[in-house]
Amino acid sequence: MEKEYFIPKNHLLCISRRDFVKFSGMMVINASILGRRINELGKEEVTWGFLLVDMKKCQGCISCMLACSLVHHGVENPSLSRIQILQNPYGCWPDDLTIAQCRQCVDPACVAACTVGALAPDPQFGNVTRVDQEKCIGCKRCISACPYTPSRPVWNFEDGYSQKCDLCAHAPHWYWDESGGPEGKKACVEVCPLGAITYTKVVPDQTREDSYSVNLRGLQWARLGYPGWDLPLLDRWLAEKDKGGIR
Amino acid sequence: MNGYAGKILSVNLTNHTVSELPTRDYTNWGGGHGMGSKLFWDLVDRSRLGTMRAFDPDNVVTIMTSPLSGTLAPGCAARTEVQGIGAQAYPYEWFTRSGFGGRFSAMLKYAGWDGIVLQGASEEPVWIDIRNDTVAIRPCAELSLWGTDIKQCQQIIWKYVMGGADTGNWFGAGSGRTTQLPAVLAIGPAGENLSRAACLIHDAANSSGQGGFGAVWGSKKLKAISVIGTGSIHVYDPRALLQARIEQVRQYGYHYDKPVSKSIPNNFQSPPGQAVVWEIIPFFATRGGKRPAACIGCHSGCRRRYASGIGNEAVCSEAAFYLDAKSRQFIYQATDLLNRYGINSLEAYYALHYCKDLHAQGILGSGKPIDCPLDFSEYGSLSFIRQFLAMIAYGTDGFGGTSDFGQHISQGIVRAAQAWGRLEEDLATGLLPYPYWGYPIHYDPRAQLEWGYGTILGDRDINEHCIYRLKYLGGGAYFGMQRPPITPGQVVDMVTAKMVPFENDPQMLDFSTDNMYSEHIARLVCWHRFYTRYYKQSLLFCDSRWPDFINPYAPHYEGSTGHIEPLLIGAVTGETMSFRDGITIGKKIWNLDNAIWTLQGRHRNIVQFSDYVYSFPFTTIAKDWLGKQNGQWQYISVNGRQLDRQGFEAFKTLFYSLQGWDTTNGWPTRSTLASLGLQDVADELALYNRLGSE
Ligand code: SF4
Ligand code: SF4
Ligand code: SF4
Repeated sequence: MEKEYFIPKNHLLCISRRDFVKFSGMMVINASILGRRINELGKEEVTWGFLLVDMKKCQGCISCMLACSLVHHGVENPSLSRIQILQNPYGCWPDDLTIAQCRQCVDPACVAACTVGALAPDPQFGNVTRVDQEKCIGCKRCISACPYTPSRPVWNFEDGYSQKCDLCAHAPHWYWDESGGPEGKKACVEVCPLGAITYTKVVPDQTREDSYSVNLRGLQWARLGYPGWDLPLLDRWLAEKDKGGIR
Repeated sequence: MNGYAGKILSVNLTNHTVSELPTRDYTNWGGGHGMGSKLFWDLVDRSRLGTMRAFDPDNVVTIMTSPLSGTLAPGCAARTEVQGIGAQAYPYEWFTRSGFGGRFSAMLKYAGWDGIVLQGASEEPVWIDIRNDTVAIRPCAELSLWGTDIKQCQQIIWKYVMGGADTGNWFGAGSGRTTQLPAVLAIGPAGENLSRAACLIHDAANSSGQGGFGAVWGSKKLKAISVIGTGSIHVYDPRALLQARIEQVRQYGYHYDKPVSKSIPNNFQSPPGQAVVWEIIPFFATRGGKRPAACIGCHSGCRRRYASGIGNEAVCSEAAFYLDAKSRQFIYQATDLLNRYGINSLEAYYALHYCKDLHAQGILGSGKPIDCPLDFSEYGSLSFIRQFLAMIAYGTDGFGGTSDFGQHISQGIVRAAQAWGRLEEDLATGLLPYPYWGYPIHYDPRAQLEWGYGTILGDRDINEHCIYRLKYLGGGAYFGMQRPPITPGQVVDMVTAKMVPFENDPQMLDFSTDNMYSEHIARLVCWHRFYTRYYKQSLLFCDSRWPDFINPYAPHYEGSTGHIEPLLIGAVTGETMSFRDGITIGKKIWNLDNAIWTLQGRHRNIVQFSDYVYSFPFTTIAKDWLGKQNGQWQYISVNGRQLDRQGFEAFKTLFYSLQGWDTTNGWPTRSTLASLGLQDVADELALYNRLGSE
């Protein structure tokens, strides 16, 4: 099934070269030496990549979580998924749901926090950062260091090591001909039935929390009666009108 | 054990103890309903079944999952099956079933349990707190839970179980961690007050409605079960599961780039969020932002969540329960009230309309023969519906005062009509459209034959849309309101080819009047009972998405049912089985259910529709039933027909003989039970003189 993605250009804001250096720490400079370039359109690109999500579209089915744990561990377990969907059934759209995927930061605090080099860029897979479970000593420093909530590195309490999104580079239970990783398929992207997750190599604004959120809805979505647009003020106004008397 | 968690939680509410049962002893029943029926059979005091009623402390209630729960199998991962002696049916309180979606069954599996069995009754109100292997029966008093509505109850429990952790962060649950809210199944005031219209509800609107299990929990003083799980479900062949999932959804699911129809609420290929009646009619649609809301693993969620947060996750009859409201907002506000009180929407809908009709006739109202505190000049307002629902939930005048009327309608409208001395007359005229076992009309038994027969030969309004859905082809809804590019004859051939073991009998789908009592229709009803008992109610394939018979995206429009079910089950469990094997297990489950009903007092003589079904014709302008007329397959009208008593008697005989049961009383026979491996059930029926003659 072909999916139509509508990504407004201004959503993929790129940071300047100077900003990039400013926000980058040692580890990233190492990674970026290998993994960074300016593309034909003048945008900053990396050799790994970024999952971008549409939290206004997502239906909260957690299929992405089930796919992530399945390809990596051969089991169904949302607690082992490297992408987390958080939702409140009584909440108000769009704040009723959050998609918490690893941001594959160009300046990853998690990598900087790892004292044994277990969490490091993987040169075999475009320098996507991943945890080498053989080396991980289970100190959970990466989990505390990740500046996002919930922390994107996931504590694998079944086997006692930390793990994070590797863009499916090391997914032993893979079925596709093509491998995973930055150049291959990502299980969550493939499984999401609504096309609410996409992938880019263009660097999202590392200084903004919302720069990984994009509009993947478009006209087909609007035809089904959902907002295809991004007009938060209008949405809020209409919602207030619809609330009427009670909560 | 792949797919299964491996153990079943047994809770004794009388002495507040818990124990484990090995799932292994029950896997040959599949899961869900099959396991639930077998557990009920094993654990209930069978010598008392003839007199045991829903509120008896010895009533056994099962809450079961399937090996597919919590997996990527599309539209199969989220249903939970609830069974026990129900409080809703009238006059016989049959052993019955209900189900609901959401996150509960998956969470129970992640916690390491394939199901829960409830026995006994607590003296004080309690709730059950499951965190992986750790199970506690806690008094409601600690958290002041008793008396809360469903939303308050869940919010209190979430906070308690999460230990004050922020939602939106990881928190510790037993030995594991999760970001997910505990899955809570609860009763509201309606259940606490033993209203027979009471549901079990999970999250905003996943209701286990039919059967009145909310009241059964109320009688056991059980307010809620909360479960948080962080464990793994082992999958036999992860690659095969992923491949089946992705290929199935891509090939047979809604094609956003090539939409055929956007308004089919009830199919594998339906677009997301279309089962909300107020939303698909533009006039009623909520304004502002919204999203589809799916159960775990579903490829196309049927519900929605709104920018206002009101009406979240409600679908179908709960969403349409108050379409008469004076304002659009009141429709979904009424829906929220319904779900917070924990009331069965279809029952509330028909109770409301029956009261309105009696009021219009001058029979019901303030100072009228049926004295009622409702002010019908306010009908359509929010205050009117709030009072009406509070009456059902609390058995009061809606404001906390005593009211005989409130007492009566809280018992369900059939029992209220009985108390008002109107039941016989209103079932004879159809003013009270309750055609079977005290359940309201859903699809008319005079038209939708498999629905009516399946219900009266079973225990409740079947609510299985497998065959009913073929009407959308006649109505055109499958193909963008166009008549489909396949002929009715092709549809019949394609569908009946899959109806093993009765395959390739096209007359099974002939809804014309000439055929309505035939052996072909008896085969259809048999197939439908077996298919649903196994695939829908035991393996828990969702009724809204399965079976996939005719699919506009498939080559030659032939849907995936028949080959995909065993593929998904095999990928998860490692069991090699055919579609036919599942139907055979369905037959076994259906036979055990009939054995239970037989011990409860079932006899063919009482298997009767309400009088109006035989006396008054069904009227419709639709021409969308499959039927053969003048030798040609067509979409036909069934307008103007009623059931004939003799015809129905002949039909029962055909049905019982196809089942291999005693045609004189409808009881199972030893040879049939033995052929299904149920010799012990035959012995037990013989013990109580309830074994059918060969
Ligand atoms: S785990 Fe956190 S810090 Fe590390 S790359 Fe992902 S989002 Fe950035
Ligand atoms: S890209 Fe792969 S590893 Fe990352 S969240 Fe998605 S499925 Fe998991
Ligand atoms: S699979 Fe897609 S729609 Fe489902 S929860 Fe994940 S992102 Fe949302």
